[in-house]
Amino acid sequence: MSTTAVLRSEWIKIRSVRASLGSLISVFVATLAITVLAFASVGTAEAENADYEPLFFAFYALNFGQVAAISFGTTAMSSEYLNGALRVSLSAVPRRGLFYGAKVAVVGALALGVGLLTSFAGFLSGQAFMGEYAIGLGHDGALRACVGGGIYLALMALLAAGLTTLLRSGVAVLSILIPFTLIVPFVIGDVANGVAGFLPDRAGQQILHENPTGTLGPWAGLAVTAAWAAAALLAGWWALRRRDA
Amino acid sequence: MTSIDVQNLTKEYGTTRAVDQLTFTVRPGKVTGFLGPNGAGKSTTMRLVLGLDRPTSGTATIGGRPYASIDEPLHHVGALLDAQAAHGSRTARNHLLALAAANRIPARRVAEVLEEAGLAAVAGRRIKTFSLGMRQRLGIAAALLGDPHVVMLDEPSNGLDPEGILWIRELMRRLAREGRTVLVSSHLMNETATFADHLVVLGRGRLLADTSMRDFIAAHSSPRVRLRTPESDRLRGLLTDKGYAMTAQDEGRWTVEGAQAEEIGSIAAGHGIALLELSDEQASLEQAYLALTADDTEFAATATTPRQEA
Repeated sequence: MSTTAVLRSEWIKIRSVRASLGSLISVFVATLAITVLAFASVGTAEAENADYEPLFFAFYALNFGQVAAISFGTTAMSSEYLNGALRVSLSAVPRRGLFYGAKVAVVGALALGVGLLTSFAGFLSGQAFMGEYAIGLGHDGALRACVGGGIYLALMALLAAGLTTLLRSGVAVLSILIPFTLIVPFVIGDVANGVAGFLPDRAGQQILHENPTGTLGPWAGLAVTAAWAAAALLAGWWALRRRDA
Repeated sequence: MTSIDVQNLTKEYGTTRAVDQLTFTVRPGKVTGFLGPNGAGKSTTMRLVLGLDRPTSGTATIGGRPYASIDEPLHHVGALLDAQAAHGSRTARNHLLALAAANRIPARRVAEVLEEAGLAAVAGRRIKTFSLGMRQRLGIAAALLGDPHVVMLDEPSNGLDPEGILWIRELMRRLAREGRTVLVSSHLMNETATFADHLVVLGRGRLLADTSMRDFIAAHSSPRVRLRTPESDRLRGLLTDKGYAMTAQDEGRWTVEGAQAEEIGSIAAGHGIALLELSDEQASLEQAYLALTADDTEFAATATTPRQEA
């Protein structure tokens, strides 16, 4: 089997399903749209708050982008678990490791590309509305946060893809991960210490802070998110290899 | 070289034995009908052959190799398992393109099979707008994509219109003529009788028969003669003496069970009885099948209440 051929096949599968391609594009569109809305309306007012953190606030809309990234990782994988589509896929590529590896690689590469584009474009477009409070890429930690934000989005997509393979259901994964990323931050507040600091979203978002205050530093935090994603992908692989299709 | 070999194949799901010590070989150059009521283990066997499910014990190979070890398998084996498996949001062309790409089959081949399956005009339409018959055609197109030597189709005529049924029948006959191995499952006997040369019959996961269609019918039915005569009373008397029972049918026709046309013909000729019609009656595959399954009393209840495939 040719790896390039299988990668190409997986790319065709993703671009030909509206839900997958749509959620990938939404990572960029949603983040930018929310950035523009938020910064144009309350950007400068926010900057006058006492606890204003210019760098972290710049990535406010990434919360919405990550929902799209999770949807992308989920739908790209869940399309295989609809009406036995996996059987057709595995008839064409019976080596399950190759099949899974190629799909994960394509999902990861697309999410990383769009993620990086999104975090840079989101950062820069938001700052355009900030007038005197604007910061540039030269600001302390800004470049690191932009690169890290892109990687973070890709890791969330991969986490979702791995979980979808394990649970064989996109709906189940979305109903776990989306409330988790949207609601948990409200419940536990800005706490980034202790166990809460090791949650996949909380840990990875350390990299968006200029001076992370939690237990984990910026790259260590991102590494914890990567470990979550790797664990989910491994669990998915274990399930795919073991189960009847 | 390209036969499908199933050896002592067993598959258990929990405590249910879906496939039980199955051994048979599907050979090239003919259409093998894969028969049995729903739940007999036909689809499970096909999934085991494709390496999608893991056998509890035993092996299933194609050309001597497990499916999973075949490089770019679509060039060797084409299968239709479930017409509903294609993602509704994709167009028919993209569905086939993704499969073709993985096995380095050129895109022009996608256009060819779409044309062959009569789907060229709807190639750009989303599969969710397709009728069951169109999905079935798409599944068959996918099976033909790599011009494979071995073709396995699970209930291919499901949902097809009469024209489609005729098409799939001709297609299977042609594939067999070209020397390919063709395994086609069905729970419809009369349908299978129109295309199969050979039969593999399952019941409750076990092999009930593996024989040519002709031998199968001969083995599971008794000969029967149909005749018409103006002197029925005299002939009946003669036949009764010889130990044959002549039974009246519709429109002045008679049947004689357990007899051959040549015996009855010579008896009638010997006594100068005119026969207006005389022929051996061919038992149908369905009758033979029911006769076979009736032997297995435990099994008979399932066999005599045919259900429609979901």
